[in-house]
Amino acid sequence: MAAILPNENTPRASLLPNTERRERLRKIRGIRDGISRYGVAAAGLGVIFALALIFFYLFYETFPLLKPVSMEVAYEISVPGDEEPAPTVHLTLDRFEGIGGRFSASGGITFFSPETGSILMRKQVNVPEDATVTAFGRSESRRSLFVYGFSDGSVLPLKLEYDQTFPEGVRVVTPRLSFPLGEEPMRIGDRVQGDYTALTVVEGRTGYVVAGGNQDGSIAMALFSARRNMLTGDVQISRQDYELPAISRPVRQLLINETLRNLFAVDDQGMLYNIDIVDPNRPRIIERVQLVADGASVTAADFLVGSRSLIVGGSDGSVSQWMLVRDEETNVPHLTRVRGFRQHPGAVTYIEPEYTRKGFLVGDATGTVGLHYATSSVTLKQIPVSGQPITRIAVSPINRLALVKGEDSEALRVIRMDNPHPQASLSGLWGRVWYEGRGQPEFIWQSSGADDAFESKFSLVPLTVGTLKAALFAMLLGTPLAIMGAIYTAYFMAGSMRRIVKPSLELMEALPTVILGFLAGIWLAPFIENNLPILVSVLVLLPLGMLAFGYGWTRLPTSIRHMIPPGWEAALLVPVVLVLGWVAITTSPWIEVAFFGGSMRQWFTDVGIPYDQRNALIVGLAMGFAVIPTIFSIAEDAVFNVPKHLTQGSLALGATSWQTVVGVVLPTASPGIFSAVMIGFGRAVGETMIVLMASGNSPIVNFNLFEGMRTLAANIAVELPETSVGGTHFRILFLSALVLLILTFVLNTAAEIVRQRLRKRYASL
Amino acid sequence: MDGTNTMSQQTTMTHGMGEKLFEGVSRKRLNIASEDICLQVNDLKLYYGNDIAIKGVSMAIPRNRVTAFIGPSGCGKSTLLRCFNRMNDLIDACRIEGEILLDGKNIYERGVDVAELRRRVGMVFQKPNPFPKSIYENIAYGLRLQGVKDRKVLDEVVERSLKGAALWDEVKDRLHENAFGLSGGQQQRLVIARAIAIEPEVLLLDEPASALDPISTAKIEELIDELKDNYTILIVTHNMQQAARVSDYTAYMYLGELIEFDDTLTVFTNPAQKATEDYITGRYG
Repeated sequence: MAAILPNENTPRASLLPNTERRERLRKIRGIRDGISRYGVAAAGLGVIFALALIFFYLFYETFPLLKPVSMEVAYEISVPGDEEPAPTVHLTLDRFEGIGGRFSASGGITFFSPETGSILMRKQVNVPEDATVTAFGRSESRRSLFVYGFSDGSVLPLKLEYDQTFPEGVRVVTPRLSFPLGEEPMRIGDRVQGDYTALTVVEGRTGYVVAGGNQDGSIAMALFSARRNMLTGDVQISRQDYELPAISRPVRQLLINETLRNLFAVDDQGMLYNIDIVDPNRPRIIERVQLVADGASVTAADFLVGSRSLIVGGSDGSVSQWMLVRDEETNVPHLTRVRGFRQHPGAVTYIEPEYTRKGFLVGDATGTVGLHYATSSVTLKQIPVSGQPITRIAVSPINRLALVKGEDSEALRVIRMDNPHPQASLSGLWGRVWYEGRGQPEFIWQSSGADDAFESKFSLVPLTVGTLKAALFAMLLGTPLAIMGAIYTAYFMAGSMRRIVKPSLELMEALPTVILGFLAGIWLAPFIENNLPILVSVLVLLPLGMLAFGYGWTRLPTSIRHMIPPGWEAALLVPVVLVLGWVAITTSPWIEVAFFGGSMRQWFTDVGIPYDQRNALIVGLAMGFAVIPTIFSIAEDAVFNVPKHLTQGSLALGATSWQTVVGVVLPTASPGIFSAVMIGFGRAVGETMIVLMASGNSPIVNFNLFEGMRTLAANIAVELPETSVGGTHFRILFLSALVLLILTFVLNTAAEIVRQRLRKRYASL
Repeated sequence: MDGTNTMSQQTTMTHGMGEKLFEGVSRKRLNIASEDICLQVNDLKLYYGNDIAIKGVSMAIPRNRVTAFIGPSGCGKSTLLRCFNRMNDLIDACRIEGEILLDGKNIYERGVDVAELRRRVGMVFQKPNPFPKSIYENIAYGLRLQGVKDRKVLDEVVERSLKGAALWDEVKDRLHENAFGLSGGQQQRLVIARAIAIEPEVLLLDEPASALDPISTAKIEELIDELKDNYTILIVTHNMQQAARVSDYTAYMYLGELIEFDDTLTVFTNPAQKATEDYITGRYG
C-alpha cells in the first residue's frame, strides 16, 4: 500500500496540465457549453416560432371572414335630371361604379356620375302619342332588361348595356340602350286593356316573354321572337299571345323565373298565385300562397339572382325568402318559406338583389335600408338613410356602392359598403343550410358552379366528416395489424429476424404516398370492384388458414420443427398468406356465380347498398398501409423497451408468455402504444395524396364503407389552385386548413395529455 | 419429516447456541446426509453457444434449508440459480445438459409445464422489480395467473403474503397505491411477498439485498430466516457475511465448477478446499 502513496521526499510531478492551462480549458468549455445551450434553445424557439407563424398566417388569411360589415351613407347628390318632374321608376349602377342611371316615368333615361351627380347623357324612349307611362317592369337585375308599359296597353322592352373602349389607354364606359324588339312599343294580348299595374319581362331561349297584369286581376303574356331574314337583313318580330287565368284581385307584382316554368302573381292582399307556364298554351294556377301574416300585405317582392328564390317584404316590415321545394311524395314543387330575416321597422317598400350572389338590400317606409344575405340567413346591417320612405335602390354589380332614393326627396343618397364575405357565418359553415333547389336543410360542400347565380355551398361538415371517415377506416385496418405486429416483433420474434423485419417495415414509410394513392385509385379500386368476394374470403380464409397452419405446426414431430430456429416461425406464414391470397382470388368468380348471381357489384346495387368504385374501403386499405409503418415503429419501440426485469418477474411468477404480454408488457408499453396510435391517426387525418387519388373526392356525409369521401386536406389540394385569391372561397379554404391544423393540434394535445398520465402511472421504471 | 421442524428450530440464528462462526454469528453443525433432499442436481452442464458456463455440477439441496451460493463474479452461481426455474430458457443460445430433479422429477424433461414449474420455484431478482401496478395488484397478479378471481380469496392471500414478507404493517393503509411509492427495501419485500403468494416450494433469491441499504438488508435477512420454515431457499450472494448469517449450507463455485458444498459452519471454519479458504478469508484476487 505504501508504494502507491507519493513519497514525501520526492513529490511526484503531476501529469495534469498546469493551472493556467486548466483555467483556459475551463473557459473554452464554458464558451462551448454556452453556445450549445443557446443554440439548442434558439433552435427550439425557432420551431415554436415557425409553428406560430403558420398559425398566424392561416389566421391572417381567415380573419377577413370575421370582419364586420361596414355600410354608411357617404354623401348625397341631387337627383339628376330633376328638371323633368316625372318620378323615378328605376335606378341602376354600372360595374365600375362610374355611371348611374335613372329611369323616369316620362320615358327619359338620365345617365350621371354617382360621384358628382353631373349628367353624362340623356336618352328618351318612344312614348306613343297621347299615352303616358303606367308601369315599369324588369327582368332579374343582373340582366339589365326592362320594360315600359304605356296607357294605351303597349309595352316597350329595352336593354341597357355598357360599352368599354380604351381611347388613349384610358377606359371609357359608355351606356347604350338597345331595343331587342324594335323601338316602337307593341301590344301584348288583346284582352288586357292598358293601365298595367305590374309588368315583367324575361329573355328566354326563343325570345322575350312580357307579361302584364292590371287592376282587375287579368294577366296577359306574350312571347316575342325576333327572326332575322338572312337575305334582306330585316328583323321580323312575331308575337304569340297566351291567355293566363285571371286572379280575383288587382295585380301588384308579376315575376317569371328564368326557366320560364312559373309565373308568380302577387295581389294587393299578399296572396301569391303560382301559375304553371311550362306549357303556356295551358297555363294553370298550381297554388295560392299567403306570403305574409294575416292583416299584412306584400309591399315588395323580387327574385334573388338566378330567380330560384323569392324575397318577399310585407307591410309589417317582415322579410322572408321563398322558393319552390319539391314535395317528397307527389314530386310537385311548392312555394315554401325557407327563412325569415330581421324585421324592418316599417313596411318594406323596395327590394334590390345583388348581381352575383345571394344578398339583397331592403328599403322600408321609415327610411331604413337593410343589407341581408340569404344563404347565411343573416341581416348584416340596417342603417337609417332617409327621413322618408325609400322608393328605389340601385346596387352596383360589385356590391360596394348603392344609390337610394327617398319619396319626394330631391337627393340621391350614396351608400358605401364593404361586405366581401357575407356568406361566412358560423351557422353557414357548420350548420344545416337550406340551399336553393334543395328539399331540406343540408350539409353540402359545393364551392363553385357554372355561373354567378350559383349559390356556393360552404359547409365544412362534409369535409370534416370525410376526414374523420378516411382516418377511421385507415386506422381500423392499420392499428390492429401494426400493434399486433409490433408486439410479435418486439416480444416473440428472434433477434436476428427482428433486425430484418423492423427496418424493412420502417422503409415502407419512405414510400411516397402519391404512389400508394395512384396504385389504390388506378389498380386496386377496379380490382376490388371486379373481385368483391375476395374481401369476404380473405377475411375468413386468412385468419382460419393461419390458425390451422399454426395448429398443424405444433403437431409436427420435434425433429422437423427444430429445423426452424426459434423465433423464425413467423417466416413460415409468408407462403401460407400467399397461397391463401391466391386461393381467394381464384375462387372469387366461383363465389360470385354461386352466391351473388354472377356479380357481387350488381348484388350490392340490388340490395340497395350504394357502391362507388373509389370508396372508403380503398382509402382504408391504402392509407392503412401508409400508417402501419408509423404505428408499428413507435409501438414496437415501446414494447421492446419494456424492462426485461419486469417480463422476467412475470415469467418467474409462473406466467406464460402471452399472460406476460397482456398483464405486464402491454400496460407498461401503453403510453408508447397510445402515442403511436395517435401519431398514426394524426398522419391519417393530414394525409392528402392517397385520399385525393383514391377517395373519389365526393363530399358526402356518411360512414358507408362503399362510398367515398372528401377530406379537408384533399379539398384544399383540389380547390386552392382554382380559387380567386382573396375571395370568400379562398378564405374558407384557409379556414378549412386552420380547422385541419386545429384538429390535429387538439388530437395531438389530447394524446399527449393521456400519454403523460399513463407515463406517470408507469413512471420510475 | 417430523425431525425437520425441530432441526430448523435448532438452526435458527440464535446467539450462544452452536459454534461461533465469527463475531455475532453462531451456527450449529449440520449433516447433509440426514436431510430431506428437495432438489437434486446431476451433472448439470450449461453452454452459451460453444462456451461452457457450468461445467458439470452435481449437488443435493436439502428441503426447508437456506442454501447459499458464493463465489467470485462470473463463476456461474446466478446462472446455476436460474437453471432451477428454467429462466435460462429465455436466452436464445443457451443449451443445458444433465438434469435437475425437483422432488424426484427432472424439470428438464420434455412435457414439463415451464409456467407451472416457475410457480413451484419462485424467484426474486437482484433489483426490486415490482410491476407498475398497485401493491395489491402486484401480489394478486400471480394468483390471477392461476385463475383466482374471488375477491375474498385475493384479499386474504394479499394480507397473508404481506404478513409473511413482514410488510403488512407498513403498507396495509395504502394497498391500492402504486408500488413504486415504496422504498427499495420495501419493494424487495413486496417482490418476496409476491413470490410466496403463489405458494411455491422453492424460493430462488438472486442477490436479493445487494441493491439495498444495511437496514433493509437486515430486514430481508430476518425474513429469509423466517421463510425457511416453509420454503427451500436458494440464495446467491456476494456478501460472505450474509451467506454466513442466513444460510445453513453453502456452495462455493469457481469458474463454473462447484468447488465445495457443505454445511455453512464447515465451509466457513474448516473448508476442505484451499480455494474455498482463500476466497473466504479474502485472499482470493
